[in-house]
Amino acid sequence: MLEQLLIFTRGGLILWTCKELGNALKGSPIDTLIRSCLLEERSGAASFDYNAPGTAYTLKWTFHNELGLVFVAVYQKILHLLYVDELLAMVKHEFSGIYDPKRTVYSDFDETFRQLKKEAEARAEELKKSKQVGKPVNNSKKQGQVQKAGLGGDKKKNEGGLASDGGDGDTMKGRRLENGNSNGNHVDIKESNVFGTANGKENTSSNLGAFDVNKLQKLRSKGGKKTEKTVTVDSNGSKAEAKKKITKKNRVWDDSPPESKLDFTDPVGENGDNNTEVVAADHGESMMDKEEDFSSESEAEEEEEEEVGKESKPDKQKKGWFSSMFQSIAGKANLERSDLEPALKALKDRLMTKNVAEEIAEKLCESVAASLEGKKLASFTRISSTVQAAMEEALVRILTPRRSIDILRDVHAAKEQRKPYVVVFVGVNGVGKSTNLAKVAYWLQQHNVSVMMAACDTFRSGAVEQLRTHARRLQIPIFEKGYEKDPAVVAKEAIQEATNNGSDVVLVDTAGRMQDNEPLMRALSKLVNLNNPDLVLFVGEALVGNDAVDQLSKFNQKLADLSTSSNPRLIDGILLTKFDTIDDKVGAALSMVYISGAPVMFVGCGQSYTDLKKLNVKSIVKTLLK
Amino acid sequence: MEGLEQWKKQAEKWSSQALEHIQAEKWSSQALEYIHQVPPEQIYAAIAILIFTSFLLILVRLFKRPKANTILLSGLSGSGKTLLFYQLRDGSSHQGTVTSMEPNEGTFVLHSEKSKNGKVNPVHLVDVPGHSRLRAKLDDFLPQAAGIVFVVDALEFLPNCRAASEYLYDILTKASVVRKKIPVLILCNKTDKVTAHSKEFIRKQLEKEIDKLRASRSAISAADIANDFTLGVPGEPFSFYQCQNKVTVAEASGLTGDISQVEQFIRDHVKS
Repeated sequence: MLEQLLIFTRGGLILWTCKELGNALKGSPIDTLIRSCLLEERSGAASFDYNAPGTAYTLKWTFHNELGLVFVAVYQKILHLLYVDELLAMVKHEFSGIYDPKRTVYSDFDETFRQLKKEAEARAEELKKSKQVGKPVNNSKKQGQVQKAGLGGDKKKNEGGLASDGGDGDTMKGRRLENGNSNGNHVDIKESNVFGTANGKENTSSNLGAFDVNKLQKLRSKGGKKTEKTVTVDSNGSKAEAKKKITKKNRVWDDSPPESKLDFTDPVGENGDNNTEVVAADHGESMMDKEEDFSSESEAEEEEEEEVGKESKPDKQKKGWFSSMFQSIAGKANLERSDLEPALKALKDRLMTKNVAEEIAEKLCESVAASLEGKKLASFTRISSTVQAAMEEALVRILTPRRSIDILRDVHAAKEQRKPYVVVFVGVNGVGKSTNLAKVAYWLQQHNVSVMMAACDTFRSGAVEQLRTHARRLQIPIFEKGYEKDPAVVAKEAIQEATNNGSDVVLVDTAGRMQDNEPLMRALSKLVNLNNPDLVLFVGEALVGNDAVDQLSKFNQKLADLSTSSNPRLIDGILLTKFDTIDDKVGAALSMVYISGAPVMFVGCGQSYTDLKKLNVKSIVKTLLK
Repeated sequence: MEGLEQWKKQAEKWSSQALEHIQAEKWSSQALEYIHQVPPEQIYAAIAILIFTSFLLILVRLFKRPKANTILLSGLSGSGKTLLFYQLRDGSSHQGTVTSMEPNEGTFVLHSEKSKNGKVNPVHLVDVPGHSRLRAKLDDFLPQAAGIVFVVDALEFLPNCRAASEYLYDILTKASVVRKKIPVLILCNKTDKVTAHSKEFIRKQLEKEIDKLRASRSAISAADIANDFTLGVPGEPFSFYQCQNKVTVAEASGLTGDISQVEQFIRDHVKS
């Protein structure tokens, strides 16, 4: 059953709640939803799971952007209410009719709501019945739900504050999946077509053997874009299809009759051919320097897109400049998704050329679209500038740290408790953990904080010596126990030592590890959980592109999964290194902050000890949108 | 009259200079002809009107500026700003509030003064969301602010003490706040509850926290987020009396509508 349905303004005033349902919600799911989902630019997602002791709710919401209203429905997580989306849409429609900004009491809406609810329930019932006849649709829909439920479980684990890991991405997929399914039968033909394209593409690329993963992803996105051209309406569904292909294939397509089986050998039409050509060209180029290759490819992509743009342009230009001029003066009634699409696409591409991970760029655009849809366009503004302004606001919001990043303050607080402040530096190989540890040590030393280093990289040869060199140059004590020792134990002893000799800060250097290396990740998890540091600092390169998402989410995931405690420590902050080498491709900062929810605490921007800075949010946003 | 003659001569000179531009010459000659036709009194009148209107516009602009009547409601998320906003506006808490995603803004006569006779100046009240991601919005409203109400949750004060004092520190060191000496009211909300802390306790805790912050914040001067001003007198423990702007502490309860001290503050700084 529906637990609660609320209507409130974006300003935060509750306009109407369903008194009949009446059961008081346990905890504060609405506030949590707003704080950790809607304000984190994740409003593009379809639902949000709230877990409090003893309860688990699922929340669904919809916006009325023009009036600035939010509609939220809350129901028990174990129930899968099919009619909630529909009910929300109906409530939105009805309520926007009677809404008046000056009015704050809507007791007459009770009756309307009762009717709407009845209607929606009846329709859901009907749908259930009819579904038993139309089997394939039913099947796939169910599957979508099963998946979602599973992912819900995922999320539950990560709920501890930084709920942002894999689960999130998966919900998105799940949602898209549902979208695709709800489009129903008529998509099928096209879908299979698209499917074929995706497969063909995959085949060709796998022929090439060892190939850049990034490239593959790019190709995928390209494939996705192409399909968008052909299948405009169902693009969402088809994209999800292409992405989800491997896991989905067995479950869904086995059930359906063999006619829908895919013919891999057939020429898949124009799209497929096109793709092979592109791949071949890329293959030729890949002999060149990697970075150059990257840029040339993206350029090629851009060009291609421009061409596409040109092709589609005449269609628009038929409207003539007069009507567009008129529109810009008069202001457009209500923005629709289709109006926003071109501007969003351009924006997404721009973000991606700035090295923002594709997945992130897409989610951001979804969220911006959700916030703009239905809004009224003011006079003398263009859609593109409106979208850009909304995106800028969103970016500032994301990059602004949620918690205080004043480490010195925390150090002093720890000092009062006569405890050393422990910082653990984690990250993949070669990103500059030790170097930046030394920089942080230098910075702390400058502010009269006594620092101690702990050499817990007992894995890589020469790591301890490297740290010892830094320690000698900075005149900082170092705690080391040589190699062949459990790093967790070394860290423990180091902290003990620091407590004894009165050091304020312990900087723990750890071995670099790839996010997929299970044994090393286990060791890290042990280190973190055993010592319970005050700050887990993820050191990441600013050079990294799509991999940033993978690195951070896997690190977080592993720290959560491999810990024994119920409230695991996750990454608290990010140190972005090699920032001086990337020119205007600052996207990694955005990707990392978005995926982890942790703020960028330091930026390493050079070789000497002094080259440590704070992130300048405004300049980053400006660069991203330039 | 002489002035006009001179001006005409000048114009003729210019027109001769611009001979190569045939069109320009044509226009200038046409203009001259036109001026010849118009009686000089009319020209003087026109100029006088032009000067008068522009002077008037400047005057209006000048007088409008200093009349800042905006009161900002700030504070951490969940401290009860939105509720206070609606209490001040409508005198009722309606059906409760949730976390704000956008500022609430309104120009109105305070609810308690609606029954008063005579003309009462409306107040422009802005409730800025407390979520840290939305705090940047505060800067948009600061230039017009006549006063800032910093709402503190007196019930759940200790767990939020550090965050609150950091936010307060940021506000107190903002260039526009210090320079214009915008008064700040620290409002301890939710005092209707039995376990709420007293305002003296809260003031002392905030002062203590800000004192610590002062040390650590001044250390990050190398960073580009540096605050423009340092608070208080160096070498002495910080207290709110050292601020250049007036900082006062008051109590209120948004839920029960006991908000007379806020209204008093607003009336002190927005002339009715």
